[in-house]
Amino acid sequence: MSPRRVAASLLLLLVLAGALAPPRGAFAADEVVTRTKLANGMIVLVRENATAPIVAISLMVRMGTRWETRQNAGISNFLQLMVVRGTTSLDGTQIVSAADRMGGSIDAYADADYAEIPATALARFWGEMLDLVADVALHPSIPDDTARAVRDFLARQIRNRAEKPYDAAFDALMARTFGDNPYAWDPMGLKESLERVDRPALLAHYRRFYVPGAMVLAVSGKMKTAEVVARAERLFGALPAAPVPAPNATPPPAPATDRTALTVPGAQAQILMGGLAPSLTDPDLAAMKVVSAVLGGGLASRFFSELRDKQGLAYTTAARQPMRVATGYFLAMLGTAPANKEKAEAALSEQLERIQRQAVSDEELRVAKAYLLGSLAMDRRTNARQAWYMASLEVAGVGHEFLDRYVAQVKAVTKADVQRAAQRYLATVRTVIAEPAP
Amino acid sequence: MRRAHRGGGAVAAAAVAALLLFGGCAGRSGSAGAAGGAGSAGGELPPPVREVLPNGLRLIVQEHRAADIVAVYLYVGVGVRYERPDQLGYSHFQEHMLFKGTDKWGPGYIDRTVEGVGGRTNATTSFDFTDFYIMAPTESLETAMQTLADMVFRSTFDPNEVAREREVIFEEANIETDNPKTAIVRQLYSMVFADNPYGYPVLGTRPTMSAATSAILKAYNKHYYTPENMVLVVAGPVDAKAVRAMVDRIWGVIPATGYKPVQAPVPHRQTGIARKSVERPEQQARLAMGWLGPPTNDFSGDAVDLLTTILAGAESSRLAIRLRDKERLVSSITMNYSAQMGGGIVSLRAELEAKDLARVEQIVLEEIARMQADGPTEEERQLAVIRAESQHAFDTETADGLANAYAIAETTWTLDAELGYVDRLGKITREQIRDAARRYLSLTNYARISFQPKP
Repeated sequence: MSPRRVAASLLLLLVLAGALAPPRGAFAADEVVTRTKLANGMIVLVRENATAPIVAISLMVRMGTRWETRQNAGISNFLQLMVVRGTTSLDGTQIVSAADRMGGSIDAYADADYAEIPATALARFWGEMLDLVADVALHPSIPDDTARAVRDFLARQIRNRAEKPYDAAFDALMARTFGDNPYAWDPMGLKESLERVDRPALLAHYRRFYVPGAMVLAVSGKMKTAEVVARAERLFGALPAAPVPAPNATPPPAPATDRTALTVPGAQAQILMGGLAPSLTDPDLAAMKVVSAVLGGGLASRFFSELRDKQGLAYTTAARQPMRVATGYFLAMLGTAPANKEKAEAALSEQLERIQRQAVSDEELRVAKAYLLGSLAMDRRTNARQAWYMASLEVAGVGHEFLDRYVAQVKAVTKADVQRAAQRYLATVRTVIAEPAP
Repeated sequence: MRRAHRGGGAVAAAAVAALLLFGGCAGRSGSAGAAGGAGSAGGELPPPVREVLPNGLRLIVQEHRAADIVAVYLYVGVGVRYERPDQLGYSHFQEHMLFKGTDKWGPGYIDRTVEGVGGRTNATTSFDFTDFYIMAPTESLETAMQTLADMVFRSTFDPNEVAREREVIFEEANIETDNPKTAIVRQLYSMVFADNPYGYPVLGTRPTMSAATSAILKAYNKHYYTPENMVLVVAGPVDAKAVRAMVDRIWGVIPATGYKPVQAPVPHRQTGIARKSVERPEQQARLAMGWLGPPTNDFSGDAVDLLTTILAGAESSRLAIRLRDKERLVSSITMNYSAQMGGGIVSLRAELEAKDLARVEQIVLEEIARMQADGPTEEERQLAVIRAESQHAFDTETADGLANAYAIAETTWTLDAELGYVDRLGKITREQIRDAARRYLSLTNYARISFQPKP
């Protein structure tokens, strides 16, 4: 059994790092998505896919770090952990047992731009699983003693995170890059803020955010659309409409060049460089995604082929630029032996400068685009990912058709676009070095 | 927890770093995870087609039309347990070198070619086998097959590349040591399989790795990478006849060498309780316990799969409910059985606070004793069977899930055994599960290791 997910999984961070190839024939992936708006404003998205006898459900809420402040950082993820640990009719053990009996799972966590309750089941249990998801979402009991136990658990997770070299370096970089903007902290939150979160605060947060206008249900798998919509209406239709909370719009600080050094346990040194990047809806998004792919997308990327394969400076090295609704970020990373760190930092820096100075080659552009689109296609193979994409793009306000537009934008990116985006976003980067104590 | 997760616990060397840091972006990552047959439960897919080429190569083709993506998996019957003590790490080192250029193409070509068509490639070294995969849009199937064949038969092992890659692998070892999750599994293996090749370090040792030359690695490749020691699986929206024609053209021309596989080493029985405590920089303490399990081709592994699910392999397993939910002594606990050809391993892992180590170990033993006395309830048995059915159903969702499962089964056991897995599991009785607990989960002979913070 995997530990219940605490915050955004790695998969989710990688997720929108990719994108999708156009279908070329009759495959399950082509099947249509049906979008229904319930009378109270909740959105239901359904995609039928008969490939395997399974179903995946994603219930998302417009709630997450983006709506938090430094004072309540982590409350959204904390609340999610609570909803799957007890409802007015089931305790936490009964919830996981029910999911196990359906050959599935149910989980909950919050990320930067959304909070999700993901669930899976054998297809014959799709209705029962939808009932369970609704019970968890609509009738959480948030018992006081469980809240205390979860808070202790989160405190240990935050402690553990600070001891992981990459995570510690990443958190430091985000804190510098985003300042008072809520993207500055991990969805797990901050030690000080979590100490303040109690049952009344969780209940208030729940009532404020779990409103139909902020909720999206996505279902993908072997079941019938009309039946899913009818059941969703019955389960969620009675929820009264209420105002949808606005996000915390505190702007991030202006980009600047700085350098932070940390001491961490371990044998490897981590070097991270990064800064602000285009949001999901920014016209520069596709060009900057190509920049990230050329630099550190796959095994053919410059970081991998030059820093690792030719110079032997790293085992892990990558660039990433996850899609974010309000403001994106770019990140270049490299893990290396402490003895190599000066050389590696200079080499990583040089990579970020070169792509601003010189246009990429036609071949690099072609490979980077194929990588981006191929990654998306690979990532959309499963029902769980399909449900996730449908729900998260709806919550982001761009609709599930967004990916078609994104694919077209990536294909249209030119060498000049790449260089311009690199000059705009890579000229000023912050650096964090995390290394073992000597 | 399912027997088809063979080698999963073996933490295929390359997988480690990448899984934990950056997914597939950063390393030669791969997971020996997915498994299951397209047998009865799905009911949607046509059966796989299995053929043996005249040169001994085994080919399995599965039509799977969920997406326009084809998965090509190659399993080679060589891994850590084949290594002599002076060859430690060579299976894995050799695997890395196959990405570093062939007599047709220079370094970087493979990654550019595969990613340039929107595909993915990676490889993993385990104890019983080494696996490679390329996933690509279906129209690029021939490119994928040709690239894979070039890698395994025509790599050059350029001495400069060998020297560079050695440093990369030393870095990989650093990462593995830094990561407590992988480090504890490694050390548990070395305790359960003391003095046996299944306890060898996948990444080798400094002396053996430093002694590896281009000629040595090339000879290693020539000896083991022969058609009769390979299983090729193609799954996707493909036609078995067309695939066979392509495979004949690209793989059928490679001559057989008369390679004969060696018998897998049978591990010694465990005697007594092997204990180890390691002080680590992290505050999070961990406990791992391990027992020898049945080998892959032993049908009693089916009962062991259900047993581990019921004890600690599911969210609502006995130990999860007692230790995580009721007594709140662990933040997570998991148990699984990894089948291996010479002998498998049943392992339990928990994250907890250091002060609770002894108590948790005691409760684990108590629950095992209870299972040995009374067996599982009927409800628990059914739940474990449904869980296996479900894992199988989720594996059939993707072409690569099926391809990987078939390749593991064909390499370490038989394809048919895999196809009948879910049906067999449904017939296992509560008494058989109880007996598996008596036979395999000794209360007096096991290995136990803990990681705890320096005081």
